[in-house]
Amino acid sequence: MVTIRDTQLRATYTSFETRLRTEPGLTINADNMPKLLAAVADTWYSGADRKLRELTAPGVTRQKQVDIVKNGMGAQEKKDLGQILDKGSVPMTDEVRRFLEQVLDRQPVTPNDGKLHITGNQAGGQVTGTGAPGVTVEAINLSTAPEARLHQDDTFVLGKVGTDGKFSGKVPDAKEGDVIRMRTRDAQGNTSDWVTVRATGLAATDTRNSQLALFRVGLAMDGGKVAITNINSSRPISEPGAQVQVVNKRTGEKTNITMDEAGTFPKDLKVNGKDGDQFTVAVSDGKNNTNFATVAGTLTVGGTGGGTGGTGGPDIKDPALHKDELNADGTPRFALKRFTGPLFKDGVDASDVKQGQIGDCYFPSAMAAIAKAQPDAIQKAITDNGDGTYTVTFKEVDYRGNVKNKEVTVDGDLYVRSWGGPLYGSAGGDTSPEKMELWFPLIEKAYAAYKGSFNSIGNGGSSSDVFQTILGKPRYDVNTQWESADKVWSTIKKSVDAKLPVSAGTHGEDQSALYTNTGVYADHSYSVLGYKEENGTKFVQMRNPWGESEPWPGDGKNDGIFFIKLDDFMKLYDNVMTVR
Amino acid sequence: MAIPPEPIQELIDASTDIVDAEVAEVVSTGTKPAQPDVPTGTTSAGFKAAEQVVVLKVARALKGGAKGNLTVHKPVSGYALKAGNKGAFFLRAGQPHAEILGRYGPDTYRVESVEHVLGKK
Repeated sequence: MVTIRDTQLRATYTSFETRLRTEPGLTINADNMPKLLAAVADTWYSGADRKLRELTAPGVTRQKQVDIVKNGMGAQEKKDLGQILDKGSVPMTDEVRRFLEQVLDRQPVTPNDGKLHITGNQAGGQVTGTGAPGVTVEAINLSTAPEARLHQDDTFVLGKVGTDGKFSGKVPDAKEGDVIRMRTRDAQGNTSDWVTVRATGLAATDTRNSQLALFRVGLAMDGGKVAITNINSSRPISEPGAQVQVVNKRTGEKTNITMDEAGTFPKDLKVNGKDGDQFTVAVSDGKNNTNFATVAGTLTVGGTGGGTGGTGGPDIKDPALHKDELNADGTPRFALKRFTGPLFKDGVDASDVKQGQIGDCYFPSAMAAIAKAQPDAIQKAITDNGDGTYTVTFKEVDYRGNVKNKEVTVDGDLYVRSWGGPLYGSAGGDTSPEKMELWFPLIEKAYAAYKGSFNSIGNGGSSSDVFQTILGKPRYDVNTQWESADKVWSTIKKSVDAKLPVSAGTHGEDQSALYTNTGVYADHSYSVLGYKEENGTKFVQMRNPWGESEPWPGDGKNDGIFFIKLDDFMKLYDNVMTVR
Repeated sequence: MAIPPEPIQELIDASTDIVDAEVAEVVSTGTKPAQPDVPTGTTSAGFKAAEQVVVLKVARALKGGAKGNLTVHKPVSGYALKAGNKGAFFLRAGQPHAEILGRYGPDTYRVESVEHVLGKK
């Protein structure tokens, strides 16, 4: 029961109470609220009717409405309005309640300023608000983004702001306490600042704990401490404000880390520990679910030194990552894992070779060519030492043609992606640590160690050098720009027939879009596996070291192997490389 | 630099729109970037083609609701575009134009592959 002393306001509010008796669904809403406001805003010299016209004038902003009411509101009216808000029997919408709270200075003003504002709660996953008419409202549920593998701005379209400046849209699968982030996008693609809300009105309690993208958490030694990083900083580790707890299993030391606005670790985060330490990782949302009882997983400190990849056998210092896979401070963004699969499965074949995320196409194309032409040479080049290490024998050829063996021993540690697959070269088929065929990735690793690092081999090179280093035979190159098609054809034919490895490199793209839509890629090296002649037309058989991607439509296998007419070969390929 | 394409799911996640489209017009081409100085026969050296602004004629949207003609930006990359080039274009909204993602533009992944991952086939 409210006691209203201001005459005009009492009359207006009583009229709502009277209507409520016969209109059970009546609420004070955005349409009839101005009448109530006018009764608060009126003065002896400016009556309620005039105030109503001012409050409902076209283009009046929310801030202006608040100012009109406040300017006319006396102490008694303020007290009366507070009673209506707190004890009134006539229901009112969340929007009206919020507005009245703004008038009474209980809440900051949400102006009708064209910016994105969220109104009310998110009952049923429904988000309502205001913004500039015509703009699209985009949203992302940051609470589910980590496991959904979303980037921090992988939004979906929540709705469009109508001509009345209002919008409404549903966030699928939203739950109480979820962190929903929104922005607007206009017709030109301009986006607004983010607006973030924690969803309310969906349930009595927040039962969803924060998600944790454990596969993005990187641990590495840095200056005597363990650096904790997000190995994919464009995606979140957890939701903003979440607490991640890491516990060193050796020392028992616990560290709680609060996720920043992007849902990732703060910069330069380091904890106590040493190489090989294991850390359990747990998460809470830091608000409503605050215990760390459920451990998301255990991570081992990785690094570029030996002994970081796992268990079993001696550890040998691993060649450092390519510079593209290092953080700005030089720490690695990828960890090592011990691979224990067989060196060879069913002998040696070109299809065993698959290039990884490194610019060394000349190396896998050369190795696949050798695998095709001289598989025995591969089996002689690498030896399983039986203790988890492997020795690769390279050939060093001096200017007189004298050959000297150079042995490089590596262990089975390979750099892996966040989901466990090899980062660099791998085998076709099963790439699990226990089953992957190892000869190619280990020879590539040994080649990186021989040359200094993966950065030393990952910025381009020549297949001829690889042929020479594996086989100890002098290189023989033919340039398609300087030689005739007949000469190129005879070189390929003779080399293939003599079981010599052959590869061919393409030109760099020169702006003419020579390669686009051909299915052949610029600045790339291919294995030459064979040749054929059909009805007088000459074809060269090629293999893309990616193990896929070939001219469309191909033979339907998409294994990277295809035939190309010699005429097209002469246009698209710059050279043929083989050995004498 | 002929590194294999980025994982398709990463590209899909990073794209605000993916369209099956054809290059209708090359609006502008930037200055050709400095090229690596490497011995003849070197591959994966990192040769780059200049940035371009092109108009795409959208046949259909695979992700998002883009339609009609789109003016988009091809960044400095290992491939170039000319009128008539077609395929799946991964686009990320930006200013002043959306940017084409994917190491090889329309040759990064075939339309069929994108549809397969998106579950449209």
